[in-house]
Amino acid sequence: MSGIVYRSLIQLSSRAALTSGCGSFVATPVRQSHWFSSVLSLKSSAPLRAEPKKKKKVDPRRELLVKERLKKKLKKLEKVPSELIPVEDFITPVHCFDETRIRSNPLLSFEESERRDLLLKEWSRYKHSQHQAEMTAIKDAIDAQKQALEELKMESEDLYKAAVSPDTNLFPFTHQGPCYTPPIPNYDPPDGKYNDITRVYTQ
Amino acid sequence: ASRPLWQIIARQGTLKAGVRNLSSSTQRWCAQKLRAVNSPSPWVLHGAVCLQRLPVISQDRNPIEEQFLDLLQQLEQEKSMLSDHELRLLLDSDRLSRKQEADYGSDDEDYESQDIVTAQDLEDAWEQKLKQFKPALRIKASDNTDVSSSERFLGDSLVLLVKQDVGHQNVWLLPQLQWEAGETLRQTAERALSSLPGAELKATFLGNSPCGFYKYQFPKNVQTESRIGAKVFFFKSLLSGGDCSSLQKDSFAWVRKDELQDYLKPKYLKQVKRFILNL
Repeated sequence: MSGIVYRSLIQLSSRAALTSGCGSFVATPVRQSHWFSSVLSLKSSAPLRAEPKKKKKVDPRRELLVKERLKKKLKKLEKVPSELIPVEDFITPVHCFDETRIRSNPLLSFEESERRDLLLKEWSRYKHSQHQAEMTAIKDAIDAQKQALEELKMESEDLYKAAVSPDTNLFPFTHQGPCYTPPIPNYDPPDGKYNDITRVYTQ
Repeated sequence: ASRPLWQIIARQGTLKAGVRNLSSSTQRWCAQKLRAVNSPSPWVLHGAVCLQRLPVISQDRNPIEEQFLDLLQQLEQEKSMLSDHELRLLLDSDRLSRKQEADYGSDDEDYESQDIVTAQDLEDAWEQKLKQFKPALRIKASDNTDVSSSERFLGDSLVLLVKQDVGHQNVWLLPQLQWEAGETLRQTAERALSSLPGAELKATFLGNSPCGFYKYQFPKNVQTESRIGAKVFFFKSLLSGGDCSSLQKDSFAWVRKDELQDYLKPKYLKQVKRFILNL
């Protein structure tokens, strides 16, 4: 600070000497840069003139923190992601594609292919008529219900409101569907024996 | 067409909007004009239950369905590849035919790949085991005869009909009971089911709303100002268990949809047929 003041004073005086018409004084213009200080000032280089770095107490801790962060980043980069567990259903085993497994089918005769095509068309017609019948039956049932509700509304509002309110005891609703043969009364099915060969993967 | 159901219904509704239910709409209009606020309606209310026993076994196939099933199975087999078991069968038959040739040298055989039990033996053993299991018969002897058994026609859905006295007439109908003040119509239907003399039937009612209704007028001599006729509201329910055998033999019947016409009156049948689905 004092050096700066000193130097500026010298520069002022030199400038003043210049402007006031110098005599035998050689007026070499002093470049206004810190590398060229005036002859009169102390010989000091730029790094010497810089102020010393103030070491704060937090600094060693800061350095440690920086080092830790670098270490963590290294660890992350080095971490290899664990292998995904393969879904066995999506992988067809290689032995399924053996050539020995291809069936040698006899070629279809013209009559056979014609019969198949006609049967498919007949089937689509049958299914279509079945679907139409189902749709009309459902529509009739819905119409009957709508009419019943309208009539009930005409009768009494309270009963109509009770009828339209949702039934909470209905769901969850389960019903055993039809099988090929009726259930045998008091039948005790035998336990099946099996070897569980499923592969268990751990990550 | 293969349009979704809601579209068909909406479409049909708009088409028939002008034509549908002329009689009931005019009646409604008149009724609304005549009836002042909070005057009692002249119809007696009844609640009835349409108890259905759903099919227990699958139905028999039509000829076309049989043909199509055969075709599908043929196609599946043609498009498939040989399985392990079939390969084994082929290998075993090859080995057998080689053994039976005249110039058979047993040293040429590859002993490591042989098994003592051939695939054909396994198949025979499995067939034997299947024959040991006797499934129940699909058709019972009581199919066409005993109308009061709920085990008839296991492939179709049956409806319970009851013979009741309705205004001096003994008729076949779905079990019904008169509505009493203070209960909902569904409770009336439940009461109707439980009040059948001697029956212990367990049923699940499907929802609070009626599925259909039937309106009839009393004969002229019984009609009064406040009782012109009766309205019956039907509620659907599914049989979930219980027994019906303790009822009198001739007073109830389990019938299919196409047998209903033998029992019910024509007008009643027309209304009831709408909501009984035979799907």
